[in-house]
Amino acid sequence: MQKGPIRVLLADDDEDDRLLFQDAFKEIKLKTKVHLVNDGVELMQYLSQAGAVKPHVLFLDLNMPRKNGMVCLDEIRNHEGLKDIAVVIYSTSASDEDIEETFVRGANVYIRKPNNFNELKKILEKVITINWQYHTSGLNKENFLLSF
Amino acid sequence: MVFNKYKPIFNSSFFLSIIFVAALFILIFISGVSYRYTTSLTDSSTLMVHSYKIRSELEQLVNYLKDAESGQRGYILTRDSLFLRPFLSVREKINKSFTTLKVLSKNNFQQQKNLDSLYTLINLRIAILYNTHDISNSGTFNQDRMVESQVRGEQKTTLVREQVNDMIDFELMYLKVHQGLFEHEISWSPLYTLLLLLFSLLVFIFAYFQINRDIKKLKNSNEELSIAYEAISHAEEIGEFSSWQWHLDSNEFKYSDNQYRLLGYEPRSFESSLHKFLEFVHPQDRHILLESVERIMNERVEPTTVFFRVLRKDGQLRYFKSIGKLFTDASLKKIIIGIHWDITEQHLNRISLEERNRELEQSNSELATFNHIASHDLQEPLRIIQTYISRISEKEVVNMSNTTIGYFGRIQASIERIRILINDLLLYSRTNRGERNFELVDLNNLLENAKAELVQTIEDKNAVIHADPLPQMNVIPFQIQQLFINLIGNSLKFCKAGRDPVIRITCDQLVHKNNKPDLVSTAKNYTRISIQDNGMGFDQQYAENIFILFHRLHLKNEYPGSGIGLSICKKIVKNHGGYISAQGIPEVGATFDVFLPN
Repeated sequence: MQKGPIRVLLADDDEDDRLLFQDAFKEIKLKTKVHLVNDGVELMQYLSQAGAVKPHVLFLDLNMPRKNGMVCLDEIRNHEGLKDIAVVIYSTSASDEDIEETFVRGANVYIRKPNNFNELKKILEKVITINWQYHTSGLNKENFLLSF
Repeated sequence: MVFNKYKPIFNSSFFLSIIFVAALFILIFISGVSYRYTTSLTDSSTLMVHSYKIRSELEQLVNYLKDAESGQRGYILTRDSLFLRPFLSVREKINKSFTTLKVLSKNNFQQQKNLDSLYTLINLRIAILYNTHDISNSGTFNQDRMVESQVRGEQKTTLVREQVNDMIDFELMYLKVHQGLFEHEISWSPLYTLLLLLFSLLVFIFAYFQINRDIKKLKNSNEELSIAYEAISHAEEIGEFSSWQWHLDSNEFKYSDNQYRLLGYEPRSFESSLHKFLEFVHPQDRHILLESVERIMNERVEPTTVFFRVLRKDGQLRYFKSIGKLFTDASLKKIIIGIHWDITEQHLNRISLEERNRELEQSNSELATFNHIASHDLQEPLRIIQTYISRISEKEVVNMSNTTIGYFGRIQASIERIRILINDLLLYSRTNRGERNFELVDLNNLLENAKAELVQTIEDKNAVIHADPLPQMNVIPFQIQQLFINLIGNSLKFCKAGRDPVIRITCDQLVHKNNKPDLVSTAKNYTRISIQDNGMGFDQQYAENIFILFHRLHLKNEYPGSGIGLSICKKIVKNHGGYISAQGIPEVGATFDVFLPN
């Protein structure tokens, strides 16, 4: 169903998180192409480049300097060319308010950054292999918060 | 309201007016009666005098005639002309007498008729007298003619006498009839007068007592008023308020003594008026006062309250609260009555309280934000450390000595403890703030959710939970769910080694009797939910301490935990206006009682 590698984009201001994220994908036995941006401003610049290849899945951290994830989510969902990108919220906290708000603003999945590398690999693999058709067609709050 | 109090006295004065009018009428009536009585007496005596005059005149008439007759007889016998004098003057005298009689009886028709016939008779008799005189003087004296003339004369005299007697009788009868009428009238008059006098006397006595009573009442009222005035005056000084009256009809403005003091003056040291008062009001607040006066005039029912600033004589700024209301007194005069209240102390206190409250609120919200951010931001590096450790222990485990592996295990455990601590702190701060949305929910559902959350531990520890059916209650759902999680989690954690945990959740209703000092709510009916376990229990002397933040009864390595869980429970129950208590028996078990107001 998918030709070529799955294009994955991560927006996270934490260097360690980016490193671990990249390492995890290297060890996952799936054909993926990971691109990293350092914050919300960079993310939006990258996405709005002329002729840029749009990612299949965007992992979005919420707490970022300059422009936070919530604002980026709004901008993406209100942008004609970007609104179809699958957005996965990738955050340290899983507070009820954050989950509720990102769901309302149109994120597809919410995952909490695990504190174990094995779990990180597991959950990223799970996200990538999700039947996105099912996840994007009807927003479902029951399986919005994905856990490993 | 104020004016109603005086109504009884007004009633009494109305009553007195009635008495006065009645007395006036009685006096006029008495005067009328007396006047008539006097008039009747005068009339009666006039009538008697009149009647007497007529009678004496009539007697006189007869006498004249008799005198003439006897004089003539003397002349005939003696021929002395001295005897003739009455005879000669008889006509003149009789005519004169008649004129008098005519005048006297001019109102009496019958008597006039009688008088006319008497006059005819007397004329006849005088004619006979003249005839007799002629006979006696003529030279041819005839004895027979003389006798005959004398006899005729005597007959006429008798007729005259009879006529006169008739007339006197008539006069007496007339007098008697009229006198009778007068007597009838006069005889009742003294009785009337006496009765009326007695009645007037009664009225006056009654009026006297009434007036006396009113005066006494007035005196008492006056005394009460002056006492009340004195009391108010003192109250005004102590309470730092003053009163004022504005008589709209006369535009008269009255301050109480304390009003002057509040403005920094001696009582009554200047002429009071609205204008004068406005001079003391802070220039920026004058419009407030003027608008309120306007409102008072329009809104007749509700008292109007305003706040404004006043600059005292010594230049000090004071805060005033003023209440005014329009009254209409018993005589329909309009008065605005008001109270000024110097609320400077209260106002300044309130401002500083508000300021402190704001500071508190700010520090509270800062604390909450700090708590939230700290917990959140602290977790990131921890998570990174954990993740790297997991990588190392996975990838590098073959290159590590057993000691290093052990160290890594200790590092892992410590980090896990920090994480739990941070999570619990976050939870505690959330219980502290957060919206308190009460909802009517089935507590059974919340319990099921809590059990689902703890399912792994329950299975691991082979625990059994028996629960009574719980009621529906008005609670903050996520907090009560947290309460169940923490309490059941607590029981599971402190289970006794070698004994499968059994947790019993029971529920009953009770009317609150003994006053628990911690109760926030004043409700009378409580639902008690008891969570009883067969764990290791605790010494009852620690029953209060276990709810204190960070307070622990065990070593960290024995039972991991932050010491926050039960503090959260206490906070949650307090948020619901309830109370939580614990009983423990070492090595036997613990019971936690949660009292929630219905």
